[in-house]
Amino acid sequence: MLDRDLVQEVLRAARARGGAFSELFVEDRSGVSVRLDDGRIEEVTTGTDRGAGVRVGHGTSFGYAYSNRLDRDSLLEAAAAAAASVREEGPGDVVDLRELEPPVVHAAVRDAASATSAEKVAWVREADETARAFAPEVRQVTALYGDSVQRVLIAASDGRWVEEVRPRVRLIVNVVAARDGTIQTGFHGPAGLAGLEFVDANPPAETAIVAAKRAVTMLDARPAPAGEMAVVLAPGMGGVLFHEAVGHPLEADIVDKEASVYRGRVGERLASEILNGVDDATVPNAWGSFSFDDEGAPAQRTELFEAGVLQGLLYDRLRAEKEGVASSGNGRRQSYAHPPIPRMTNTYILNGTATPEELVSSTPKGVFVTALAGGQTNPATGDFVFGCAEAYLIEDGATTAPVRGANLIGRAIEVMSHVDGIAQDFDIWPGVCGKDGQSVPVGSGSPTLRISKITVGGTGD
Amino acid sequence: MIDLREIVDGALAAARDGESVEAYAEESRRTEIDARKGEVEGLTSAESRGLGVRVIAEGRLGFAYVADPSIEEAREAVARARENAAVATEDEFNALPDAQPWEPIDGLFFDEQASMPPEDKVALALGLERVAVSTDPRVTRVESCSFGDAIGRVAMGSTAGVDAEFRRTGCWCVVGTLAEQDGDTQTGFSFQVAHRVSDLDPDAVAREAVERAARMLGAVKPPTKRVPILFDAFAASSFLGVLAGGLSAEAVQKGRSLFADLVGDQVGAEVFTLVDDGRLREGPAAAPFDDEGVPTGRTELITGGVLNGFLHNTYTARRGGATSTGNASRAGYRSTPGVGTSNFYVEPGTEPFERLLEAAEGGVLIQDVSGVHSGANPISGEFSVGATGLRIDGGSLGEPVREMTIASTIPEMMRSIRAVGSDLRFLSSVGSPSILIGEMTIAGV
Repeated sequence: MLDRDLVQEVLRAARARGGAFSELFVEDRSGVSVRLDDGRIEEVTTGTDRGAGVRVGHGTSFGYAYSNRLDRDSLLEAAAAAAASVREEGPGDVVDLRELEPPVVHAAVRDAASATSAEKVAWVREADETARAFAPEVRQVTALYGDSVQRVLIAASDGRWVEEVRPRVRLIVNVVAARDGTIQTGFHGPAGLAGLEFVDANPPAETAIVAAKRAVTMLDARPAPAGEMAVVLAPGMGGVLFHEAVGHPLEADIVDKEASVYRGRVGERLASEILNGVDDATVPNAWGSFSFDDEGAPAQRTELFEAGVLQGLLYDRLRAEKEGVASSGNGRRQSYAHPPIPRMTNTYILNGTATPEELVSSTPKGVFVTALAGGQTNPATGDFVFGCAEAYLIEDGATTAPVRGANLIGRAIEVMSHVDGIAQDFDIWPGVCGKDGQSVPVGSGSPTLRISKITVGGTGD
Repeated sequence: MIDLREIVDGALAAARDGESVEAYAEESRRTEIDARKGEVEGLTSAESRGLGVRVIAEGRLGFAYVADPSIEEAREAVARARENAAVATEDEFNALPDAQPWEPIDGLFFDEQASMPPEDKVALALGLERVAVSTDPRVTRVESCSFGDAIGRVAMGSTAGVDAEFRRTGCWCVVGTLAEQDGDTQTGFSFQVAHRVSDLDPDAVAREAVERAARMLGAVKPPTKRVPILFDAFAASSFLGVLAGGLSAEAVQKGRSLFADLVGDQVGAEVFTLVDDGRLREGPAAAPFDDEGVPTGRTELITGGVLNGFLHNTYTARRGGATSTGNASRAGYRSTPGVGTSNFYVEPGTEPFERLLEAAEGGVLIQDVSGVHSGANPISGEFSVGATGLRIDGGSLGEPVREMTIASTIPEMMRSIRAVGSDLRFLSSVGSPSILIGEMTIAGV
């Protein structure tokens, strides 16, 4: 993407005043998106974006400058701006650049560019028609298809040179269903780090049916009960909760800011002894995977919990160097316009030994959550709240009526310690995670699991 | 470097007979400085420019964008948008707005802000942190503490005659604090935004963040009970995003608004007036024209609790037989204009905060709600959110409470408003005074 001599020159300019290292991230991203709404192909977009970010690290501080101009002058100007925050201590070295071998490659079998816009339009139409045919209550459908190819070049003054092509594909279907003045929505959005073979494996019609069924089912929902009770989370959903309530406070920048409930507690049992959790960027073609993180560290699998005992944190380069440990390959950024920070990749709770049936049948009263709507966590206190998009009552060991307006409220360590059953039906839930104004693709995953006691906020009895 | 105007003109020159072409070009420069432990933790400086092109041919719309384009790439973007239009659905309401005269707004751009020396920005960020960690012995650390500023410029043109250009400066202070005592940790937050730094009060931001964290120390989970609820300005603002969604004509036309058939109806209490005003100079979103070149203005969406209408861009106005309210909104050059709010706020009342506090005796002041975007259903208006706050006891603030939930519906809450304070605050481009609600259930233990 850029000439090696120019890259070397920019890295050297960025270390003109010193600092621990300099780094250049160059990106070229192109993609197509199609939006269907209200039965019409509203928008077909083609986009091309490119730019470069120069970073100079010094301790846990950094200077960062970016531009979407890639000529020599602009890059050197960015290097000077990034270097400006470093205390003058004389120029630093730049080691000869050498290319690193990827630990894992997530290749596209079928390039997104090999399909025409008309074919992509046909996929969202198929989703729309299938959702509308699902039930007469379906009133409105939004279907979005998007693909992108991100090409990155990452080089740093320690000699690392990394190039990676990251193809991504996603289809999202949103359905609105209505009956007798009640309106409910349903969502489904499979996504992968892959080419168009992902669409073959996840047909738009199937995605549409999941979303439509969710919306229509919730029309019969009554207000959720309120109070403390047992909650069973369907496959994938425990992963979403784990990501928000546990994963974020394990990110090393939050720990370093002394804003994490897990600070200084590696080696302690802080979750149920049946719980094992990992963050794994090497899962082949998973939405949150990559070959190298956005600082050029190789993708890896990081143990977070083993038998409920906290094993470690999620590190980027700045925080790892401060602690004198190796980066765990979790330095990620939304684009060249963002400095990297510790982020999750694919964050999973691993399979246990129970069956989903016994987790429900041994629950006298509770809520069975099949889709979470998203949530919010305060990493300093561990307090979290999650909305439920689809949930059912559990009465005398059986799932019964759907309930709406349910919220799960709790504190991370307490709730994870109350996990008293984990099944073996692992599944994933792709999402887009926001932090510090940056969005990155992440995967969450888990089998069905039960939390023996958690506060459910609802409006019913 | 080629000027934005040349990029716009270059794109428009590629238009063919019979098609409508619009070029939206923008450029920005930003700086953000994060301070921690007396040092600059991060300094980010940025420069960005790009072009978005809409082509409408035979009622079909196509879009393409490109970062930092040459004239040649601007022309190519038109060609790609044209190809995309060919596979889109024909829609008689797709059209570019006709050129309309717009009035510049004084006081959006300040040279002093555009040329603020970097060392002054660093000093301001460091000073912000110094006050945050030295005001209260229980608050010795910040979670976040930053000062940022931005200079933006937009130039647009279209084959329908739009020819518009404006620039704006902005700056902001954000402080998130951590308070600790006896093993308990609480967080507090404050924020201010303005068009120039002399209109900010950084010390006040830092002190407020300190106070909001410190007063939550020792918070307990309250018993479930129905009590008067007073939302402070920040907490009340959190709900406005959900309201904004329902008041967009796009949501109405697509059957996704809880207000769809309620124009002319009393949807809220008589003390409740809701405004969108793109020309409110103090508002961070102030602009003389919207993101498709239509002049902005003040729209009273709800007056005295009565719903007047909805926010429109050119498309929704044509489809709904209305006039654009100047609310076409883009997330930058990479997106097409949808319908969005500009400066969106609850009109302040006359009651000072202290009066509302007295009126809410025995209730709870809510200072933070969480999970609004996930816990609220924008279509049905049902919501259940997590909340933290303080009991109101003898007209002043008492015991802090946390880990509780509030569940209701947006319409029910709007009808239950008893009083609106005079203390309007903007949380980014959304603003509210404190709002007193009759009674709501707080669910705790």
